[in-house]
Amino acid sequence: MTSLVLNKAGIYTLLMITTLLIGLTEFGLSGKPGALLLTLLFWSTIAQGCIALVAVCELVNARWMASLRRELLSLYPLLLLLPLLFLLLWPQLDLYPWTKHPNLWLNKPFFMTRNLALLLAVFFAGRHLARRSMAKQPAGPAAVIYLLLFVASQSLVAFDWFMSLVWPWISTLLGAYFFTEGLYGAAAVSGLLMLLYFKQKHAENGLPVTIHLRDIGLLMFGFSVLWGGLFFAQFLLLWYGNLPEEVGFILDLVSSSPGRELAWLFPLTLFLAPFLLLLAAPVKQNRHMVAGVAGVVLAGLFIERLCLVLPTVPMHGGVLLFYNLLLFALALVILHSSVHATSQID
Amino acid sequence: MNNNIPVPQVETDVLAAMSRPGYAWLTGFGLAGLLFVGALALWAYQIQHGMGVAGIMHPVGWGVYIANFVFWVGIAHSGTLISAVLYIFRARFRTSFNRSAEAMTIFALMVAGLFPLIHLGRVWRFYYLFPYPNQRQLWVNFRSPLVWDVFAVSTYFMVSLVFFYVGLMPDLAIVARHRGGWAGRLYRVLSLGWSGSLREWRHYDRLYMFLAAFATPLVASVHSIVSWDFAVSIIPGWHTTIFAPYFVAGAIFSGTAMVLTLVIPMRRVLHLEHLISIDHIESIAKILLLTSLIVGFSYIVEHGMAFYGNNLFEMEQFRFRAMGHYSLLFWIMITCNAILPLLLFVQRLRRNLIFLFVLGLLVNVGMWLERFVIVVCSLARDFDPYNWGNYSPSLVEIGITVGSFGLFFAAFLVFVKTLPVLSITELKER
Repeated sequence: MTSLVLNKAGIYTLLMITTLLIGLTEFGLSGKPGALLLTLLFWSTIAQGCIALVAVCELVNARWMASLRRELLSLYPLLLLLPLLFLLLWPQLDLYPWTKHPNLWLNKPFFMTRNLALLLAVFFAGRHLARRSMAKQPAGPAAVIYLLLFVASQSLVAFDWFMSLVWPWISTLLGAYFFTEGLYGAAAVSGLLMLLYFKQKHAENGLPVTIHLRDIGLLMFGFSVLWGGLFFAQFLLLWYGNLPEEVGFILDLVSSSPGRELAWLFPLTLFLAPFLLLLAAPVKQNRHMVAGVAGVVLAGLFIERLCLVLPTVPMHGGVLLFYNLLLFALALVILHSSVHATSQID
Repeated sequence: MNNNIPVPQVETDVLAAMSRPGYAWLTGFGLAGLLFVGALALWAYQIQHGMGVAGIMHPVGWGVYIANFVFWVGIAHSGTLISAVLYIFRARFRTSFNRSAEAMTIFALMVAGLFPLIHLGRVWRFYYLFPYPNQRQLWVNFRSPLVWDVFAVSTYFMVSLVFFYVGLMPDLAIVARHRGGWAGRLYRVLSLGWSGSLREWRHYDRLYMFLAAFATPLVASVHSIVSWDFAVSIIPGWHTTIFAPYFVAGAIFSGTAMVLTLVIPMRRVLHLEHLISIDHIESIAKILLLTSLIVGFSYIVEHGMAFYGNNLFEMEQFRFRAMGHYSLLFWIMITCNAILPLLLFVQRLRRNLIFLFVLGLLVNVGMWLERFVIVVCSLARDFDPYNWGNYSPSLVEIGITVGSFGLFFAAFLVFVKTLPVLSITELKER
């Protein structure tokens, strides 16, 4: 594994290579923009959410995941990948219906500028927070700035990247729904990290890792209830209102396969399964079970994004798999390199 | 709090607040009671003369009474937030506020519960709200959120009451120990014979945690359902998916502001400065700031989305709110709820009690106006211009509204003199 340990320059080079590979695939092989958009929708939530969760803990002096703070923060270079990949979407913006009738808010130059600016701002704020927090310096103001940018960025991800695909369909809750999912996804990532680093953390002195494991389980349980509430609040209202411009989108989503099956699957994986499993105390104390539930939640988030985008944007299944495996491998390398480097310093 | 305060002193300091009422208390109680009696008289007047004495009429069929209902249910939210949610999150600063916040929840719910009855007009028909077997087989409309409200608010009231009472039991036993005569015996009975044995504490801890876990989703569900009173209709300005979390955040926002409004003077008048520290008040101020940011975010999204889509009615509604007949109220609302609380980013102001007290009052004004703007503006300007019309509350409605504050403050003043305002046992643990 030592051969995989990269320094900062190596990590940023790897980010460039990843962008290049995705760019070549996107404009050489794929020809369909759906895979890139879906990858961006999923990874922006996860990458930004991981740092946001640490920022929340930093602000409220929470010790829920004190043993994983370093690992979660080490993922911050992924935030730079988001604006790079977003740039690849530029030549393919015609997939949005509003490009034919641009207006004051929805027009190509402004769409690109505001999203790129915000993604870059999130990266710089995340880097600043990670550096201060890892250096054990007071990070309160940095955490506040990051969280404000995170909320703004995830709201734009919801409203600009996804909702404007199906204009004029509107859900005002979608922004809050997306940034809550970001935090939920980060809690799930923590569950997976617990599986990877439990023994190592256990060996470190003074860290009550077993309590942190239970806290992560509790946090996922809490988020599953919150997610269930937001899902219900959003779709119950649209269904009850029964307005053609609102309910039409949901009908399109669930009227044919595979959307119908996916639409059942994601509430199951994001609410019902974690809720029922994590009710039991022994599950929350078993790192394999917590990691299993975390995996289900992350799969649920991906399925939900897939379900939302699939009816509107064409995509290539193989390309989608390639992009996501590539990003997963990249995240693992960044994590391993950063943790290894920090432990050497320690 | 200074952790070096000896344990017996905590008891005597908290119980000292329950001493014989002074002139200030009597004056406050008299004034609040007078306002409430005035409101009762006005309600009797309304029952005698009919709903015509209220300002509500076509097209604005929901006016100040419904705004008051939503406002008071909102105030009731901070009690469970501070008590249950912060208990689950192991936030220690809750002990400075939980008792008074829980009491506030009970009183605010009692006041809130009056308004649907007042709005009903023929109040003696109130039992129509409940589904009961009857000869004509008439059932309430289970698909109506107004019926959901009955279940949600009454469940919340019962759980909050049980939670409040369970939390009080060990303290009631302490009061019984310090009091003699009939009062001591009464507190002993109310404490259900609490002896403080290990077994009792074990059961108590489990029950308290269970109730906290049960009450937490209730906080979110109650105001979500209240928000759906509006949002499930297709009226412009009401039918929007963000309403549920926006109402919940707004409720916690207004409730937290009310906690500051009550606790800051209480702390000074009852000499509890060493038990309710500035650090703890600062933590409450941070919750106020957070919820203000959520409310501000909701305003931006709600107004932005109206102009993002292609729904002319939505656009007109939000233009009317900002520039129409009620624009002054709208801008006061924005200032009080979304702009002034941003000053809490300054740490010095978060620790300034006078500033926090004034801000708490202004936030309550802003939140009441928010309810008014939401309820009235959408009804005043719906789809058909022929159906447009403005509303102004009558003196009867204003009087009853003022009287509801009288009832709330009178109940709180009685609480201050009859029950420990801080949780003695939790302060000892702290």
